[in-house]
Amino acid sequence: MKFTCNTKDIASAVGAASKVVNVHTTVPILSNVLLTAADGKIAVRATDLELTLEHAFPAEVGEGGAVTVPAKLFSSYLANLAPGMLELTGTPTRASVKCERSNYDFNALPPDEYPPLPSASKSAQFTVTGKRLRDGINSTIFAASNEEARGAVLMGTLIEIEGRNLTMVATDGYRLAKWQTTMDEGISGSERFIVPSRALAEVARNLGGGEAIAVSALGAQNNQLAFSSGDVAITVRLVDGQYPNYGQVIPAKFDRQIVVNTQALIASLKRAELVAGDRASMVKIAISNQTLIVTASSDISGNAYEELEVEQTGEDLTIAFNARYLLDVLNHVDGERAVMEFLGPLSPAAIRPLQPVDGEQQLYVLMPLRQ
Amino acid sequence: MIAHFDVDAFYASVAIRDDPSLRGKPVAIAGSSRRAVVLTASYEARPYGVRSAVPLYRALELCPHLIVVAPDMAKYKAVSRQIFDIVAERGYPVEALSLDEAFIDLGEAGSETAVAEVVKLRTDVLARTGLTISVGIATGKMIAKIASDQCKPNGMLAVPPGDERAFLAPLPAGRLWGIGPKTQARLAQAGVTTIADVATLDDARARALFGSWFDNVRELARGVDRRRVEPDRETKSISSEETFEFDVRDEARLREVLREQAFDVARKLELEDLSAATVGIKIKRADFRVFGRQTRLAVPTRDAERIFAAAGHCLTRAALNGAPVRLLGLRVGSLVAGMEKQTSLFEAAPQIVS
Repeated sequence: MKFTCNTKDIASAVGAASKVVNVHTTVPILSNVLLTAADGKIAVRATDLELTLEHAFPAEVGEGGAVTVPAKLFSSYLANLAPGMLELTGTPTRASVKCERSNYDFNALPPDEYPPLPSASKSAQFTVTGKRLRDGINSTIFAASNEEARGAVLMGTLIEIEGRNLTMVATDGYRLAKWQTTMDEGISGSERFIVPSRALAEVARNLGGGEAIAVSALGAQNNQLAFSSGDVAITVRLVDGQYPNYGQVIPAKFDRQIVVNTQALIASLKRAELVAGDRASMVKIAISNQTLIVTASSDISGNAYEELEVEQTGEDLTIAFNARYLLDVLNHVDGERAVMEFLGPLSPAAIRPLQPVDGEQQLYVLMPLRQ
Repeated sequence: MIAHFDVDAFYASVAIRDDPSLRGKPVAIAGSSRRAVVLTASYEARPYGVRSAVPLYRALELCPHLIVVAPDMAKYKAVSRQIFDIVAERGYPVEALSLDEAFIDLGEAGSETAVAEVVKLRTDVLARTGLTISVGIATGKMIAKIASDQCKPNGMLAVPPGDERAFLAPLPAGRLWGIGPKTQARLAQAGVTTIADVATLDDARARALFGSWFDNVRELARGVDRRRVEPDRETKSISSEETFEFDVRDEARLREVLREQAFDVARKLELEDLSAATVGIKIKRADFRVFGRQTRLAVPTRDAERIFAAAGHCLTRAALNGAPVRLLGLRVGSLVAGMEKQTSLFEAAPQIVS
């Protein structure tokens, strides 16, 4: 293979792809990025076998073909190039780069050993804007489990499509995030995918600016999901398993409610959390007389007391939460004011925006701490 | 003053106390497995070279008429608790080192008061448990421990304030804390054999022999020991481990062992009213290579099933692929006080107000 391209184009494509490379891999070829030249374009691909990221950019292709180059080394080299043009010649064992008055030979591995992508199938093709998908991902994935011992299902985020309804859900068993919107065009019937949450973070980062993202299932058992827009494509291996029946754990009705200024509550909780100290960082929330009182205490640090004005409906309540979990939710809930709903000190609490923003519905369920 | 006490031949003494026919005979406490080692030997067995950590088969070669008694850990723990209770009744801070050994902080009491207190304590322990303890009394921990060692069995030795350096001087340098056999051999080559030799080293030689901690070692050798008794040492981790009689290759069997250990650890957590946020396993392979895997839990727990699930995950990650395992252990850490406080979405159905 042989091509000539702009140093900036190749540096940004290889830089983005190399972030996917697992530095601890024991399979040598997975430390490399695959460069494929064809039809006036270079596609740069990296994979850790679960997640594959491909960035393409235009180039003057002299001779089509492919080469694999060590990702970290090559991306660091490219990041240090001055703006200009470079010429790359690839063989199965070598990638030779000419740029200005410098010449580099990088050791390569045979490109035919690079793991292939599954071929596309027609099932579940739908299109969603980058902003929508990014909002959904950012609203949910933080609530997914990061505890490997509890399995891959809870570490994933559920994507459900039913007609024009797109729903995303993540939960670690202690809190749950649900986000929902209506798409311009839907699918006939319904589909459910459990997608590794860290892969969705890559989707939001690499595709979040895209106009229209095509989402399609790949592979023999539809066990991969591809997100693509323009010159960027991400393919991810889906989690095999049964997602918990989340609908069952979201209470249908609540009997107590407050409306609160989100930023004011965040500020109070951040200060109180400093005092809560211990690992569970417990904060107590007492609601009475249109006032919310945040308290925290620990033997080591002392006591915290914060008062906020709220709109209260229903009986008084005292409930305790892990400050970190409550802050995570409040930091993601849209709008200036949030609704918090309760049933009792040991029952799930719900948090949602007072007004849905942009036709997107957020709902968070948070389990309390025993006091 | 600080006292160090040690129950004389603890396990063996308990066995002899409860079976007088063993009195005056060489007795060893040891398990019955192929790899058993002597845990404790009675004083009658010691002249034969039978002492703790000697492999049982070797002990039987050294002393063919040795009487071997199986250990009864539950009983030892109960007796230990009884002894520590007797010490606690006297109101002094205690730092336990093991089931049968501890430091007692006798406070500002002078040497004579300290001795009188220890006499009462030894009488009390003997009267109420039938066991003898040996006690060393000194201004520092190290000398108290050396003294209790020297007066065993059934003895008491006080090193009055001011006599520390003279007491230590003739002892071999290896008796100093922190000096193991290797260092001792190196010191001997340099002509340093007694503690007195260490005490009189000049700065340059001391630094050459001990590196940056030369000052501490030399101070110890001169009888200056500033470490205080630290009562109620905080539990940092809780573990349970098993050495197999025959190496285990079967992962299902290893999982069974982990399950038992998870229940054991969960029970210990409950006894101490703690919860753990990390779970790890320790594996010693047949080639004696030791390694571990650890995982962090989102919420601290004392639930045996959750601990087992996390340990099982560690075992999977260890990717043994049938390699023979000699020892398997489970350890929990990042301990916090109390029960798991975080309630769970899926474990308790929400109350729905209709």
